[in-house]
Amino acid sequence: MASRIYKWLDSRLNLKPVERTLLDEPIPGGASWIYVFGSVTLFLFLLQAITGMFLALYYAPTPDHAYDSIRFIETEVLFGAFVRGLHHWGASAMVVAIGLHMLQAFLYGAYKPPREAMWMAGVVLFLLVMVFAFTGYLLPWDQTAYWATQIGINMVGTVPVVGDFMMRVMRGGETLGALTLSRFFAIHVLFLPSLLVALIGLHLFILRRVGPAGPWTDARAKLGSETFYPRQVYMDAVVIFGVFVVVAAAALAVPFPLTDKADPSDTTFVPVPEWYFLFYYELLKYVHGPLEPLATWILPALVIGIMLFWPFIDRNPARNPIRRPVALGSGVVFLVVVLSLLGLSIKNLYAVPRADPSVARGKVLYGEFGCAGCHRIHGAGGAMAPDLSFVGDTRPDREWHVKHFKDPQSVSAGSFMPKFPLDDRQLDDLASYMLSLKKAP
Amino acid sequence: MSSDGNPIPDGEAGFSTPVGSRRTFMGWVTSGLASLIGLGLAIPLLGYMISPALKRRVRPWVDVGNIGDIPPGEPKQLDYVTTIQDGYVENRSHKAIWAVKHPDGQIKVFSPMCTHLGCGYRWEAEEKAFKCPCHGSVFDIDGHVLAGPAPRPLDLLPSKIENGRLLLVFKEFKSGTSQVVEL
Ligand code: FES
Repeated sequence: MASRIYKWLDSRLNLKPVERTLLDEPIPGGASWIYVFGSVTLFLFLLQAITGMFLALYYAPTPDHAYDSIRFIETEVLFGAFVRGLHHWGASAMVVAIGLHMLQAFLYGAYKPPREAMWMAGVVLFLLVMVFAFTGYLLPWDQTAYWATQIGINMVGTVPVVGDFMMRVMRGGETLGALTLSRFFAIHVLFLPSLLVALIGLHLFILRRVGPAGPWTDARAKLGSETFYPRQVYMDAVVIFGVFVVVAAAALAVPFPLTDKADPSDTTFVPVPEWYFLFYYELLKYVHGPLEPLATWILPALVIGIMLFWPFIDRNPARNPIRRPVALGSGVVFLVVVLSLLGLSIKNLYAVPRADPSVARGKVLYGEFGCAGCHRIHGAGGAMAPDLSFVGDTRPDREWHVKHFKDPQSVSAGSFMPKFPLDDRQLDDLASYMLSLKKAP
Repeated sequence: MSSDGNPIPDGEAGFSTPVGSRRTFMGWVTSGLASLIGLGLAIPLLGYMISPALKRRVRPWVDVGNIGDIPPGEPKQLDYVTTIQDGYVENRSHKAIWAVKHPDGQIKVFSPMCTHLGCGYRWEAEEKAFKCPCHGSVFDIDGHVLAGPAPRPLDLLPSKIENGRLLLVFKEFKSGTSQVVEL
């Protein structure tokens, strides 16, 4: 059936030559598993585009409704959490795929003449994807989104002379608010996609004009070439399918919960950026004072500039990595720095003692029920009942506390502490607070 | 997507381009995997798009007041505020319904909209009738049409009494039809 329709169309539209250009492009040295990353990136872009369109069915880009609309998607819409998960993990996968794609192009010297323009278009594509990530992060309008974006924009403010102006333009005003959200939304779903599609077109157009680079030794390339279809297409399909399975599994298995709704007045919230911005976040911890602009904009501008113009900086005509020690060495140094910063930041992230919200709630209960009327903590409160300053050390057993709150006399005979009407959650919160009262945190 | 069976152009394809059954196999695997991805996306996305459209609004019982406040034999308008869930938006809306207490203690609750074209009607105490100002429909205390263009009696709302409080489910009905059609 399909082939008959195809024949019918072909006899009118003359499709055979189109098919030949698309599928029979010669690949010097033959198909390879290492050439799949470009196709994987393209697939992930399509996945982002599709899931993004569907998210837009319910999303509302205003501070009043953005958060509620995402919650609606998560809780009320069939497969809503899955679709949002695909979009979230798809973004991460895309950053990884681009990284591997660039690494391959770098290793194979695929940026060398005549492919300089293809590399440069690729770098711009990479930057666009990072802007995608940055603008998309704000859209859920939860605490993380709000405060991470706040920090990102403030960094731009450190650029001399124009910093303030740029910050205002990014926010659409003096503060991060309704106008910021709507412009981030418009940029994320209208401006960037059109730009990205145009640049992907350019990237692929150049590829088809100059052809793929192939192996780095001419001897291997001369062994023969094969067409794009079927083997390379097959390899691409296998890896793409694997990537899809991984992203879908992450979307199903790893919940990506919203934090609380953005609260501009709550400055105690410590946001964590997405992992692909983490290395940079970590870098900022080591540069302070007058050196800060170095990290906030001089270094990034330098790195982007070097990346963009790399084909003109590395003039060594050889493509074989063995004959390019300087280029490869600098590439390795760059990777090691970025990866160790990433590793460090992840390590630090887990080392930060996370404030347990139940402790804070317990503390509030302690105040509400007037416990300080009899008990004393660090010198504050009455002295009729035991001092609780270090009760977490002297009574480290949570069960004991819960039992004790339910019925003080049952575990402590002769106690004159009254029974308080506490529900299970309050019991738990209050016990958490008791256990947190220790000499050493 | 398949160029199976096409003669490979001379010279363009190198000797290592798979041909014959290998070529067919790769073609099948490629289309198979592509279809799996397509299905894996199409099914959830379709459900995602359709599911809220099919959801029926759950109308809760709302408390509109004390039954002691309703004088027997005299219709009384009761106001209340209700939240209406519109997707992710919660709307607070004022509603005013007519409650009639019969001498036997039974309470009937009428939708506040005239069955003709949906205007709000009033109780005229001297004439002992509900009158609609828009096109002059007149209803008796049981909601029956006495005069005017109204095609059916006033619409009853489901109601019940719990602990001396009047509870009801607010509904809206299509106007202008002789049948009662819930919206
Ligand atoms: S709307 Fe009431 S009479 Fe027409």
